[in-house]
Order: sequence, then structure tokens, then C-alpha cells
Amino acid sequence: MTIEAPDLSLAALAPLLFVFGAACIGVLVEAFGPRDSRHPVQVAVALVGTLGGLVTTVLLAGTREVTAGGALAVDGAGLFLQATIAGLGALSLLLFAERNLDPARSAFVVSAAVPAGSVRDRELLTVQRVQTEVYPLATFAIGGMMLFVTANDLLVMFVALEVLSLPLYLISGLARRRRLLSQEAAVKYFLLGSFASAFFLYGVALVYGATGTVRLAGVREAVAGAEGGTLVVLGLALLVVGLLFKASVAPFHTWTPDVYQGAPTPVTAFMAACTKVAAFGAILRLLYVAFGTEEWTWRPLVYGVAIVSMVIGAVLGLTQTDLKRMLAYSSVAHAGFLLTGVLGLPATGDAAGSGLPAVMFYLLAYGLTTLGAFAVLTLVRSGEGEATHLSQWAGLAQRSPLTAAVMSLFLLALAGIPLTSGFTGKFAVFRAAIEDGAWPLALVALLASAVAAFFYLRVIVLMYFSEPAVDGPTVGVPGLPTTIVLAVTAAATLLLGIVPGAVLGLADRAAIFVG
Amino acid sequence: MLSTYVPIVGLFALAAAFALFSVAVAPFVGPRRYNRAKLEAYECGIEPVDQPLHGGRFPVKYYLTAMLFIVFDIEIVFLYPWAVANDALGVFGLVEMVVFIGTVFLAYAYVWRRGGLEWD
Amino acid sequence: MSVTHYLVLAAILFTIGAVGVLVRRNAIVVFMCIELMLNSVNLTLVTFARATGTIDGQIMAFFVMVVAAAEVVVGLAIIMSIYRTRRSASVDDANLLKY
Repeated sequence: MTIEAPDLSLAALAPLLFVFGAACIGVLVEAFGPRDSRHPVQVAVALVGTLGGLVTTVLLAGTREVTAGGALAVDGAGLFLQATIAGLGALSLLLFAERNLDPARSAFVVSAAVPAGSVRDRELLTVQRVQTEVYPLATFAIGGMMLFVTANDLLVMFVALEVLSLPLYLISGLARRRRLLSQEAAVKYFLLGSFASAFFLYGVALVYGATGTVRLAGVREAVAGAEGGTLVVLGLALLVVGLLFKASVAPFHTWTPDVYQGAPTPVTAFMAACTKVAAFGAILRLLYVAFGTEEWTWRPLVYGVAIVSMVIGAVLGLTQTDLKRMLAYSSVAHAGFLLTGVLGLPATGDAAGSGLPAVMFYLLAYGLTTLGAFAVLTLVRSGEGEATHLSQWAGLAQRSPLTAAVMSLFLLALAGIPLTSGFTGKFAVFRAAIEDGAWPLALVALLASAVAAFFYLRVIVLMYFSEPAVDGPTVGVPGLPTTIVLAVTAAATLLLGIVPGAVLGLADRAAIFVG
Repeated sequence: MLSTYVPIVGLFALAAAFALFSVAVAPFVGPRRYNRAKLEAYECGIEPVDQPLHGGRFPVKYYLTAMLFIVFDIEIVFLYPWAVANDALGVFGLVEMVVFIGTVFLAYAYVWRRGGLEWD
Repeated sequence: MSVTHYLVLAAILFTIGAVGVLVRRNAIVVFMCIELMLNSVNLTLVTFARATGTIDGQIMAFFVMVVAAAEVVVGLAIIMSIYRTRRSASVDDANLLKY
């Protein structure tokens, strides 16, 4: 007996191979590279890997292929999201590499094994050595995310979920300052994250039991043939819960503010931008490819969750006094807006509904904007690290008009003001929802946007129309990496707002799932 | 039919012979240096105690060793199905397995170089 | 023994694990409950593999084991680092981050 070797299209796998290859080389550099030159080498390896992944996805544009024995679906939507993740990941890595802002030259702890607050820890606080293990870890996470959005198989989806999560748990505990907060964030993220993946896994098992397969296409056939019944519905619910957790959709959002606040800000930026894209990519693929025919099962669930998420995000965002927490609740609200777009998915096969491209565009726009907003947060510092309390930002415009202007741009985009990318994105997803007849949802979304706009504008008002405190924070001069990130994200936020046509068209053409 | 089991019987015989040989030869050729540790109930590992001997906590090294053991130990699980189906899988399976072992060795090299395997 | 027995047992184990995560206070115990959930899923998977006559379930059980081991390593490392600082693995003590 011989088993047929599965077809393996290396070309279609190239983006993944690039990123995972870079991560493996990063591990080798950690093992064998001399300590002094590790940092530049690691940054270079990680950037080459992610940018290589970005370039190869662009070169692959137009590919529609199911490969690796049916485990991966390399299609338009998958490649678009892969490119988004690789690009946002490269920008996040630049934030990781920033060495000018912190007096100790890095946002990451030198040695995570040293107990926080010990004598040795205080010695190391001011040492200019840098932690370089974060780069391979982040690269592995990026690779996992890129695998996640192309997984055509529930098992691969689960493995990718873990590959992206495990490094994130670790790097969110590696802050150099406020280490207790950072470690606590890591523990919370880890415990809740693995709790959620256990649910996802149980969902996989139930769907497998009901349909006898884990291939998404196979599941669709079985579901369309009305096999399974209760088991399928239960399994679907558990799968969706696991994914909604990763996408930080309320009521599965409780980890988000804590982890966003405790993690080092570059890591928060990375999580806010890339994890969101990956999680929504998987949600879209799962609901559309595997359960597209079971629309009436998940539709009410997503409908309800979208409303809860928008309302909780907008209302609790109002009460926050810490900017990182506020942006975390903003992320919860945006997850709700994205879900309104998910509802605009077409129920049947290949007809291109307006929901899919709208969500894809929104993910790109939101990722860039939120990454930029967190990058600005790393600039404003007081003695003990970043000044994230709202009151510390009073009158920032007088200290540094440019910083205040850039931050205002990002906040306006998050609020969805016209001529920014946020407006285009929101317009697209709301239109998709309305076209699909979900106008009550769009109405709630508009109201939630209005409430959310209030807390974004409050920060802008505070920056421009308040007197600065005497012992207020200083605005650091960013080095080249952060400058690049700010320039790219600010430019993209404006361009996607003023001339979104090209990217919208690209998302439209790419919005195809195979499998 | 029963001839299928001949290699297994042979393996048993070989294993038994090796064990007998080692035990029988060791007293004649091995050096004998007694010390206190050798006469204790547990020659290796830690003495079972409820609490760490001098108060405080167990050294963190135990956790490190345990964690490394778990992660490398479990990776082996993928070798079993491959070993069973090796004939059917052919060259493709071999290549895939080499890739897999290669990545595991990457992790091993990292642990080794960063001192994860040193006790002190 | 019919297939249902195994599935019900697995569901009960999963529930015990989930309840344990919600009510226990020690991070290590919470973590063990999560492992219990994963292992109950393994039982479900191999049961379904037998029931549906496909091999996928058994393969998945292998992957779950490996992923669970990786999770153990990452989780223990994180819990240990916080324990060494605070001398406590209670999740109630981890309360610096809140509204």
C-alpha cells in the first residue's frame, strides 16, 4: 500500500515559508549569534521575513488554489489579509526596534527570568542591553496569523490559533517598566486565551463528529445535506466563541483592556492591529466557506453579539481615564462595527456580496490607524515610562503641536470622521449591512459611533484647549523606526480617506474564497 | 503465520542477552568506588521530602528541566505514526519528517546554547 | 458500551474543567482545569473517529497533545515568573489591572 503524497504548491506557500523561515533563523541567531550584534541582526531578519512575506503575497495576487492536501486555501481574500498582516507586522516590528525613546534604549525587559522588583532587576533597569528574543517570537506570531487566515481545515486553524497565541502571551509579559502589570497581563491573557481555545477545540470535535470531516468544504457539503443537526449548531457556537474571543468582541472582551494596558505598548499595537485582522479573517472564512449555507444559524448570534460589542465598547470607553484602556474599548467597539460587515456576507456560494470586501478594507484601515495611535502613545513619556493617563495629556498641543496633530488625525479616523480612512471603512460596512436588510443594526452602529466619537474628541479637546500641567510629560524625539511607522500610518489614514478607490477596488476584486 | 513473530523473539533474546551480559561483566571490569550517595535508597533524583530541606522553595531549575522535558518528549509523538506507515509514505514522508526533526533541533540548539541544559 | 457513553463522559469532564476554571483561585489549578478540558476534547475526538470510521480524529488528538504540551510550557513559565515576584499564584491577588 502506498499513500499518495499530498500536492504541495511551494509557490502558494511562499509567504508563509518566508515568515516562518525568518522566525527559525531568528532562533538560530539567538543561539549562535554574538550578543553585541544580535539586535540589528534580529531586526533585519524579522523585517526581511515579514516584508518578503508581503512582497510574495503581492506577487501571488490572483492565485486561487487549494493546496497542501486541502489544508490551505490560497485565495484572493486570504492573500489580501496575509498581505495586511505582513505589512502591519513589519510596522509593529519597527516599533519594537525603537531605541531612542526609552532612556534604557528598549521597551522590553532585559531578562524576563529575573523577579520583578529584586535587586538584580533594579540593576538591569538602566542597563542598555536589549532583549532580542521578542523578534523571533513576534515573527512566529505573524506567521501563525498568516496561516490562520488561509486555513482551510479546522485542525490547521486550531494549530495556527495556538502558533499565533503562544508567542503573544509571552511577549505581552516582557515590559521593561511596570513589570508587575505586564506579568499580570500575560497571566490573564494566557489563562483566558487557553480557556477560549479549549472551547474552539471542543467546537472542532463536535463539528467533526457531526460531519465526519474537518475540511471547511466538506463541512459545508455535510451541513447542506442537513446532517448533524444539534451537534453542528453546538459546534458552530463553540467555534465562534473561540474566534470572537481572539477578535475581542464583547462579551468575550474582558481580557482586552487589561492586556492592552499591561503589555508593552509596541506589543499592544501589534496585538490591536494584527490579531484583529487574523481573527476576523478566520471568522469570515469559517462562516462563509463552512457555514455559508447555515446562515440562519449564526446570523442571530452575530447580530446580537455585534450590538453588545458596539454598545459595551462605546459606553465603557467613555468612563476610561487611561489612554491605553480607552483604545482597548475602542477596539471592542470596532470589533462590533466589523461584525455588522460580516452580516453583509452573501448567503450563497460565489456571488460577491459587499460585506466581504467591506470588512477586508475596514481591517486594513483600522489596523493602520490603531497602530499609529499606539505609536504616538510611546512618544509621550514621564519619569516612569509612558504617560498614558488622560490628565497627563492636557495641553499637549502646546508642548508638541506635531504630536498632537498626528494623534488627532488617528483619533478622528477611529471616530470615523469624513476624509479619514475610518469613515470610508465604516461607510462600507454599514452599507453592506443595510443592503442585506440589517438596517436596525446599522442604526445601532451609527448611535454607537456617535457615542464613541465623544471620547475620541474629548482627548483632542484636552490636548488643544487645556492648560498643560507643570510637571507634565515630555514628548520624546522618535528614532527612525517610529518615524517611519508614524509617517506610513498617518499617510495611509489620510489616503484611504481621501482616495480610497484603488484599495476598495482591490478589496472588491480580491474578495473571493475558495475551498 | 507464526514466522512473523520470529524477529520479535530474536529481539527479546538479544535484549535479554545484552542485559545478562552487562550485569555479569560489570563486576569484573568496572571500577569500584563506594561513597555515601551510592548506598542511599535513591541513588539518583531528589530525596522525597515534604518541604524543601532548608525551608524556602525548590530551585526553579526543576521547573525548567520539567518544562523542557515535556515539550521535547511530546514532539516524539509524531514519529510513531510515521514509523508505522513509513513503507506506505515513502520518500515524501521521510522528507517531511526530516523537516520536522530539523525544526525540533532548532529549538534544541537554542536551549543548549542558552544554557537551558546546564544544572548550575 | 455505546459511543454515547464516551461522549457523555467527555462532556462531563469538559464541564468539570470549565467550572474549575471559573471557580478555582490558584492559577496552577485553573491551568490544570484547562488541560482537563483539552483532554476531554481528545476523548471526544477519538470517539468520533471510531464512530465515523475516519482517521482524522486520532490525528487531531496527537496535535492537541502537542499543542497542550507547548501551552503547558508557556503557561508554567508565565505563572512561575509572576509567582517568583509575588510569592502567590492566586488569581485574586492579580488585581493591579482594573477599571
